[in-house]
Amino acid sequence: MTRQEIEQEVKNILHREFEIENPGMDDNLREVYGFDSIDAIELLLEIENFLGSELSQEEKKQAMEIRTINHICEYIEKIAQTRAAAPAT
Amino acid sequence: MERRVVITAASAITPIGHGKDSIVQSLQNGVSGIKPLREEALLSRFIHSKVYGTVDYPINYEFQRQHRKTMAPCSYYACQVAKEVLEESGLAPEFITSGKLGVAFGSIHGSPITQWNIYRSFFEAKDNKALQTISAVDYLKSMVHTTAVNITKMFGITGRVVSSCTACTTSSQSIGYGYEAVKFGMQDAMLCGGADEYDTITVAVFDNLLACSTAFNDDPQRTPRPFDKARDGLVVAEGAGAVMLEEYEFAKKRGANILAEIIGFACNNNGGDMILPNLNGISNTLKLGLENAQINAEAIDLVSAHATATKMGDIIEAQAIANVFGNHPYVVGLKSYLGHTMAACGSIETILSLYMMQEGFIAPTLNLEEVDERCAMINHVQKMIRHPVNIMAIQNFAFGGVNTILFVRKFA
Repeated sequence: MTRQEIEQEVKNILHREFEIENPGMDDNLREVYGFDSIDAIELLLEIENFLGSELSQEEKKQAMEIRTINHICEYIEKIAQTRAAAPAT
Repeated sequence: MERRVVITAASAITPIGHGKDSIVQSLQNGVSGIKPLREEALLSRFIHSKVYGTVDYPINYEFQRQHRKTMAPCSYYACQVAKEVLEESGLAPEFITSGKLGVAFGSIHGSPITQWNIYRSFFEAKDNKALQTISAVDYLKSMVHTTAVNITKMFGITGRVVSSCTACTTSSQSIGYGYEAVKFGMQDAMLCGGADEYDTITVAVFDNLLACSTAFNDDPQRTPRPFDKARDGLVVAEGAGAVMLEEYEFAKKRGANILAEIIGFACNNNGGDMILPNLNGISNTLKLGLENAQINAEAIDLVSAHATATKMGDIIEAQAIANVFGNHPYVVGLKSYLGHTMAACGSIETILSLYMMQEGFIAPTLNLEEVDERCAMINHVQKMIRHPVNIMAIQNFAFGGVNTILFVRKFA
């Protein structure tokens, strides 16, 4: 999964589920788009669907640091690399 | 401290129209909002009653996603009438968010449509993916006070929240408790009402209790038939109603358009059977209402009866009206137009009565062709009359033995 593919899918999710059009990669999601705690939980479900695997409680806690789309992409990239290194049994 | 409480705005979404003009037109032309029950591939095919008071016209919602995400259909109705009432009231944005305005709003059990989907996930669960089909917002959409808090969220209202969920007295209690909050100085204004969405679970429940109308499945507009000899039960319906209540001096000072005054409210319980209507309990409600409003029964011009068109309910209500109010006030059963809008019925029937008071007419009870002799001791309205209404009573009764009455006076 390339960074470009991740970015495209994140933009698709933001458009489809959150009605966010043409977002800036470093926009603060809360300040610019009113992204709140409910949206964060919905986003994690979408990320799980995208990755095709469940996020651990620890991974979900790490997501609380996310503020921008670039953060989301970095988060997915990191998880995907972890999964690739140690495939789920 | 007791303060006067006035109504400064009202709005309703009902099976006979949305907003005053269309509703008044329907009342004056004998238009029924009862339609065939919609198939939902679950229970509807097994339900004997095939009629429903249906909102079948488009509503132009303009809610942003940040609000829509926690809203089920009942909250769409609730927020729409709340929005219209806030606009009509002309209250300033800084007052709306000041904490001096509260909300009293409810539905009978949150959002059944959302609950269906949650239960579907439970019953169809095969692996841990099933948990993901329950959304983070499903609880917020379906909790019992979902209508009230979607309203506070959408409009930034920070005052007290009351969310009655007493079945058919939900929104009459909303208005009553809102009235008391303003009357006793706890809030300067209260946005009050109730809403319920299209829901076949409620139809199934009443169907099993043999309380639903089944004899007019092929001719829906001929039912329900409050007080009529051929009545055969209630018709479940959907809708929403909201009113803005304000402290009189505050409303006067800001130049609000005062529509009417609430002069009394009473609520009690039968203290016994959960379902059967109770003559003593209801008679006591009416007496408590008179005491609270400090009026004599002779002063009442119009009674909006609960009148669901069940066999026993209508007889007991007619007896209670005759015993306490006599045969002077005109009596109308507005569910004959709407069906039983459940949580919304108290507020919707208050609003329809308010429209009649404003326009100087009394609509007849629809389908009341031959009065049941056991209900004949009161002053039924069987054709539209032009008549001034100065004081009116709005009566509602609920499962669990809860009874309410509101008294509204024309503002002069």
